[in-house]
Amino acid sequence: MSSCGSACQSHCSRSDEAQDSNEGDSRISNLSIASEPPKADGLPALCSKCGVSVRVYSGMCADCFRAHIFGKFKLAVTNNALISPSDKLLVAFSGGPVSRVALQFVHELQYKAFNSWVASKSQALPVFGVGVAFIDERVFSHHPSCEVDNAIEEIKLIVSELTPVQKELHILSIESLCSLGPNDGKSGLNHLLETISDSTGRDDFLHYLRMLSLQKIALDFGYNKLVLGSCTSTIARHIISATVKGQGYSLPADLQYIDARWEIPVVLPLRDCLGQELSMVCHLDGLKTQKVLDRPHVGINALVSSFIARLQHENPSRESTILRTAEKLKPFHFNKFSKNGYHDFLPSRLRCKFQNVKDDSSTTEVLCPICGSPLDESDLQSLKTIQLKSQESLNNFISQCCQSCHFQILPKNEVPLVHFYSLLPQSFTRRVEISSLRDQIKDCLISDDDDTS
Amino acid sequence: MHLTLEFGGGLELLCKSVKIHEVDVDTKSGEDKLTMKDLLSWIQANVIKERPEMFMKGDSVRPGVLVLVNDCDWELSGNLDTTLEEKDVVVFISTLHGG
Amino acid sequence: MEGGDATRARRATVRLCSICNQRKAALKRPKTLEQICRECFYVVFEDEIHRTIVDNHLFKPGERVAIGASGGKDSTVLAYVLSELNRRHNYGLDLFLLSVDEGITGYRDDSLETVKRNEIQYGLPLKIVSYKTLYGWTMDEIVKAIGLKNNCTFCGVFRRQALDRGAAVMKADKLVTGHNADDMAETILLNILRGDIARLGRCTLITTGEDGPIPRCKPFKYTYEKEIIYTYAYFKKLDYFSTECIYSPNAYRGFAREFIKDLERIRPRAILDIIRSGENFRISSSTKMPEQGTCERCGYISSQKLCKACVLLDGLNRGLPKQGIGRTKGLNKSKDEENKNSSFHSKPCGTLDI
Repeated sequence: MSSCGSACQSHCSRSDEAQDSNEGDSRISNLSIASEPPKADGLPALCSKCGVSVRVYSGMCADCFRAHIFGKFKLAVTNNALISPSDKLLVAFSGGPVSRVALQFVHELQYKAFNSWVASKSQALPVFGVGVAFIDERVFSHHPSCEVDNAIEEIKLIVSELTPVQKELHILSIESLCSLGPNDGKSGLNHLLETISDSTGRDDFLHYLRMLSLQKIALDFGYNKLVLGSCTSTIARHIISATVKGQGYSLPADLQYIDARWEIPVVLPLRDCLGQELSMVCHLDGLKTQKVLDRPHVGINALVSSFIARLQHENPSRESTILRTAEKLKPFHFNKFSKNGYHDFLPSRLRCKFQNVKDDSSTTEVLCPICGSPLDESDLQSLKTIQLKSQESLNNFISQCCQSCHFQILPKNEVPLVHFYSLLPQSFTRRVEISSLRDQIKDCLISDDDDTS
Repeated sequence: MHLTLEFGGGLELLCKSVKIHEVDVDTKSGEDKLTMKDLLSWIQANVIKERPEMFMKGDSVRPGVLVLVNDCDWELSGNLDTTLEEKDVVVFISTLHGG
Repeated sequence: MEGGDATRARRATVRLCSICNQRKAALKRPKTLEQICRECFYVVFEDEIHRTIVDNHLFKPGERVAIGASGGKDSTVLAYVLSELNRRHNYGLDLFLLSVDEGITGYRDDSLETVKRNEIQYGLPLKIVSYKTLYGWTMDEIVKAIGLKNNCTFCGVFRRQALDRGAAVMKADKLVTGHNADDMAETILLNILRGDIARLGRCTLITTGEDGPIPRCKPFKYTYEKEIIYTYAYFKKLDYFSTECIYSPNAYRGFAREFIKDLERIRPRAILDIIRSGENFRISSSTKMPEQGTCERCGYISSQKLCKACVLLDGLNRGLPKQGIGRTKGLNKSKDEENKNSSFHSKPCGTLDI
């Protein structure tokens, strides 16, 4: 792991990082104890890393702290080969501190790659491209539209200032996927949400819609990876809410560095950073964030958030512990890049690490077309029992939904269910068509085998 | 209005370990009805002697406290809006303590 | 709204039971949201537990089964339901109550009185085993020695063994406990919160320790605490005792417990969903489960040379009560404290043949 030392910023101390996974707990608690400002003798406490500058946060001075967080990001990127030189990355930016840091760090990586490209004679290694996506959710905002407009202007300014390699900013409104047939997007989305009676279900549905909107931008503009700013805190909340919603089986799919079950694979380079830490980076670096765009959680998601906040308050390493527990669950075959040639750009020493991993992707998972969760045993059993008299495609669709989506999103009765299905953006319904097509092909193959035997 | 209040599952500890309370609650002048909402604030003021947070949360009982009005779960009679009548029996049982 | 019973019927929403359609609904089942009457509730409640017992093959005819009885609501209702089902469905079980006396003045003496009444009410024999006879120490004495900080560690480890040892003395084939769905959901969450993947894998099993001397099972695994309370509340003759242990106002578990109750209010099925999540977690087979051996000193199942109880006892008896708690911190205590503690006379480890 010490190999990436040279690639890091000057004050990034790699040896500390290597021990992170073992000593995370004790270290974090040590640091936060140490962060109380002046000592008894009246002198300000000094940074625990460089020992020179004054402590600002987590027992470190501003520079060391920032380097420490950037180091965690960098480690996630290099250890998992999240970014390769030929990539075109789309960074999802919400205006909040976590995605702001994601954008900043990706920009810095690109900047460094660009500089070495300029300096190198051969200019053989390309510099990865970066674009930014913003999903406009003003339909749900309590703030006046002009404030949202201002926030978006700010975002445009932020993105335009990330030079010298220009980044394109793509803005898509959350309702745009719902503009089908006679409905315009806004009323389409509202009608759709009205059919979902559970408030937690509505909240989660919007989350899935946001994800598909990001996928659409990535697809439309030729990006090959989507960078999300999910941090330890967001993921810890997700772990508890997914558990509470009965999604224990699919849970490990959502917390890995790589999630390639989407058309455009998703990567989470900030997975090991706490929300608090990232807010601090924003503060120290003077990175602007947009409070206007915040969306509060509702229902069970809100309850989980306040529960975790309380636990985190009582023990500052709680979120990391939650993530570490769930990390021990078995991930899925799509939680890594498996395409041939993907790892070609890596140094050969690293390449073998990824290529020697046995490919057990023969196990195919059925994914819920709404939330994308792999179905568990009992989901698969109940899959066969559902039969509606109406359209076949709807039957197919609901039979593949996981129990959690059945409960909190799908309407219970036939008429609203048909209505719901008719309003659902194609991005959702298409998933079933693709997977049933795959089944048909598989069936054909099997019957061929039967013939020859 | 005369009511019988019963506290169980540990809640009795909040009112000097007395489980059954025969009480007379004044209704608001001009009204002959009492809602559970009124009763809860009356209980908080007159019956609960310590750690009121073990009994109430916001303007309702704490989640995990079961309320029965004449042996019927108050969920079926409208929770806080349940109206009480003369000689009703109201039971509160906490599930927050071990069992 | 006619006369006579009108006083009781005048309430805004008088609904009939959705099962029998005759009597007034008295409660809403958290599992199904059905509004049903008391009489139908007893039937579905007991039927469901019967189904759980049958579907999971919890018992075999002729088995001698110890019911872990604390005097609390869960074990009281468990004793009642099991004796009832055993009679009704001819399980052919030889049931008895097993209680542990930790030796906490003012707490356990009261609850043991409750268990003694249960003994008479359900005609089930009762065996009480005490920490004092098993270990040579009462909890009161332990607290005196170690203070209030880690006493729950002792009590938990000792109680777990005490039930097993008591069951062994009584030649029981199985031990049943009153853990309900809420308890299990809480345990699952706590194991996630503290990163205990091995326990997370085990804690959802309905029967544990099948390879050990005495398997334990939880017939209330899928039973809502709320329904247990309904049962208790309606059978006024079911005795019920509950207070917080005077030594343990356990804040941490309290957080999780409160969270679960808040959840249940928003979405009653969340409790069963947590259990489903727990059952379906993809715990990889490579996660090391501790190997089971036996304790060299007392013969109890243990992954180490000495079982946890013997380690703790050893510490108590040698005047180093922090031994075996947490990591090694306790061993580096200041001299003063050690001297103070060593003034306690060493007591022999209670021996019991298993």
